[in-house]
Order: sequence, then structure tokens, then C-alpha cells
Amino acid sequence: MMIAIETKKLTKKFKDKVAVNEIDLKIKQGELFALLGVNGAGKTTTIKMLSGLILPTSGDIIIENMNMKKNILKIKEILNVSPQETAIAPNLTVKENLEFMAGVYQIKDKDKKINELIKQFKLDEILTKRAKTLSGGWQRKVSIAISLINDPKILFLDEPTLGLDVIARKELWKVIEGLKGKITIILTTHYMEEAESLSDRIGVMANGGLVDIGTSKELIKKTKTKNFEDAFVSIATGGER
Amino acid sequence: MRMINFAKRNFKELIRDPLSLVFEIVLPLFLLFIFQQFDIPADNYKLENFTPSIILFGFSFITLFTATLVAKDRTSSFLIRLGTSPMKPSDYILGYILSLLPIVLIQNVLFFLVAVIMGLEFSVSIILTILVSMVISIFFISLGILIGSLVSEKGTGGLGSIVVQLVCFTSGMYFPKDSIGGVFEIICEILPFEACLNIIQGTLHNDFSNLTPADIVVFLIYFIAIILLSIIVFKKRMISDNK
Repeated sequence: MMIAIETKKLTKKFKDKVAVNEIDLKIKQGELFALLGVNGAGKTTTIKMLSGLILPTSGDIIIENMNMKKNILKIKEILNVSPQETAIAPNLTVKENLEFMAGVYQIKDKDKKINELIKQFKLDEILTKRAKTLSGGWQRKVSIAISLINDPKILFLDEPTLGLDVIARKELWKVIEGLKGKITIILTTHYMEEAESLSDRIGVMANGGLVDIGTSKELIKKTKTKNFEDAFVSIATGGER
Repeated sequence: MRMINFAKRNFKELIRDPLSLVFEIVLPLFLLFIFQQFDIPADNYKLENFTPSIILFGFSFITLFTATLVAKDRTSSFLIRLGTSPMKPSDYILGYILSLLPIVLIQNVLFFLVAVIMGLEFSVSIILTILVSMVISIFFISLGILIGSLVSEKGTGGLGSIVVQLVCFTSGMYFPKDSIGGVFEIICEILPFEACLNIIQGTLHNDFSNLTPADIVVFLIYFIAIILLSIIVFKKRMISDNK
């Protein structure tokens, strides 16, 4: 199996504080990898480094066989991010948002790609509505649809269902499940059942380090707990609880 | 091109905000009209002098709304998304500047149209003045990018209002600096707004006798410094915002 993302001793320091500490990680092509951790564990900083938004203090990131230090613009062409908050232009309609992002990635056959996304995400009914008038669920759906505009090989989903009601969340899960296997997805979430049900493997971060990694079943077995939530708490607290 | 694509998006965001159009176009037009209804015995209020003042007044709101747009983009996740795209810093800065230039052109054309209707003599100088004003507007747009990069969306209202006030009181728009004198006169000479007004008025009158070498130097220093600063600070903030 080909490796989509590899990090070697990936570290980020902010002045004296170590936000991410020497992470070694390998994510396979087509894998859905969930990155879990309590607030301040270093998940978002890791995602920001992997997506080229901030530079590591030390260590290496290799994406699709390209080193981030030397090929950042090439790497940015093949990845996309759906940030924690909904990242869409508020005064633009849904169609205009899709067209704008198609322009950002210089998509050649942009009409074809936009129509494909409209169909895939069932966006017809909201196409002419301004983004700021949409409900939270729709905004998040549009935000994820936009992140697929460049057919990314790697997609970062940073807490995609945060703040959504249970119906909107389940609907987004279906969308994410539909993407599984086709692209490599790195998902961060605070919802244990989301990580358990969607991901192939789960990495748990604590105090800037990657403390454990495995499938949900493997992590439950390893920690000798009854369910995944207990397994996570045990790993994240170093077995103290 | 990515910068044109970004400029198109910014233009749509700006013109779909009715408040920005009211302050950038309707309010200056109203002032231009209303001050001509009174027979104020001062040269500042003559149509050929007050129209350039109104152009400058409109630019101060360009600063305010550019700052708001940049701050809003920065504080939402919108720029995070774009930060992970292949867009370069020059695409952002030029994208913001280019999006404002059509609004500046619309402002200028409307201000002169109303001025001509009210009695300003039409001449080639008007077209030249519009072109010169568009160059000066780049300073005001850059100032907006700088403010929007430094403070939050809420903060842009306060700092933007200071720019509006400074334009009103230190450019010589409402009264000449020597009518107060002293420290105030020095402040007017140090700040770039009087120099901007002298350049616009000089171009319209085709008479640069009021324009001193100091005006040109002050304007050029601010023009270059603010553009450079806006680029440096915007780039730095895009990185530090994401820490």
C-alpha cells in the first residue's frame, strides 16, 4: 500500500511552548485517519503543518512522495481543507462560492466539476442562495463540497460536524463515508462515535505527542476498556482515569 | 489568474454590502450637493475645490471598508482555506486592490457627474483628475489592508473612523490649516491628506501653484511606506493568525 502522508520527527514550538513534539506518522493512500485529543493536545497545529498553513520548527513532512519544504506549492495543488469554522464567502451565493474556489485552483473544466459537486451534495435547492443565509448544516455541507473542487488526493476535515444537530451530523457522515477509499482523509473530531464509526485508524494526541495509534478495536483491546470512549480517556490521560 | 478571481470575489462582497455603498458613494454625494445649496463665502466650498475634497472624503470610507473586509476574512476561516490553496501573497494584496478600483472609478464618475450638473465646467482635466485620484486611492486601499491586518473587525470601525476624521480636519477640506495655525498646521503638513488634496485639486485646476515639493515628498513617503507595510504586515498576520 502506498503512503500518502509521512511525518518524521515533526515538531512545532511557539517560543518556549512545544505544541507538537517529534511526531512520526504514516497514513496510507485512501485511508480515513482520525486524529483525536483533548483541547490543546496539538491536533489543529498538526493539521495546519500538514496542510502547509504553518511551517514546522523541525522535522519533515512528505506528501505523495514530495517533501513539503521543497514542493509546498505543488503539494497545495493536491490537498484541500475544510476548516473548523465554516469557510465560505458570506455574501456570495453557493454557486459563486463554487466558481470562486474553482478559480483559486484553476480548474480547467470547471462547469463539469461544479455540476458534479452539485449533484453529489444535492445542492440544487440552495444554489442561488447567499452563503450567509444558509443553516449551519447546509453551510458545513457547502464547505465540504468546496473542499473537493480540486479533486484533492488528501482532504483535511477539521471537526466537520462541530455544533451540528444529530440529523445534520448523520447526513454529513454519509457524505464522508461516500468519500472513503477514494481520497486520503484526515479527520479531527471531539465526537468519539464519529471517529469510531468513520475512521480506518485512529491516532490519539496528548501534550503535543502522538501517544497511541490503531483501529478502535485495537485501542479498546490494548487499554482493556469496555468501549472506545473509555479507551480514549485512558490513552489521553496516560491511564490515570 | 488567481488575483483577478480573488478581486472578483472581493468586489461582489463589497457591493453587496449596502452600508458600504451608502458611505462610499451616497454620503459624499449628499455632502457635495448640500454644501452647494448654501452660499458659504470661503474658497474651500467652491465647486471646483469641494469636488476634489469629496473625492478624498470618499476615499477615507474606502479605507474603512477595505479594513473591514480584510479583518472579516482574517478572523473567519475563509483565509485559512485560501492559505492552504496555491494562492501567493501577491494574489491577495493585488486582489484586494483591484477589487476596490472599480468602486473608486464609480465614485469619481458619479461625483464629477453631479458636480458638472451643478455647474462645474467640463474639461479634459476631469478625466486626468480621475486617473490621478485612482493612483492616490491605492494609498487609501493599502491603508485599509494595513488596518484590517492589524486589528479585529470591531477595531476597524474605530481606526477607520479616525482616518475619516483626519481626512476631514487635516486635509483642508473644510477649512485651511492656517486658520488655526500652530501645532495643528504642523500636523496637517506631516500627515499625507493635505498633500493628496493639493494633488487632486492641482490636477483639476491644471494649476499646481499650491502644491509644494514638501507635499510631493510627504505623499510619496506615505504612499510607498504604507504599501510596503501593508504587504509585510498582511503576510506576517496570515502566518501568526494561524498559530
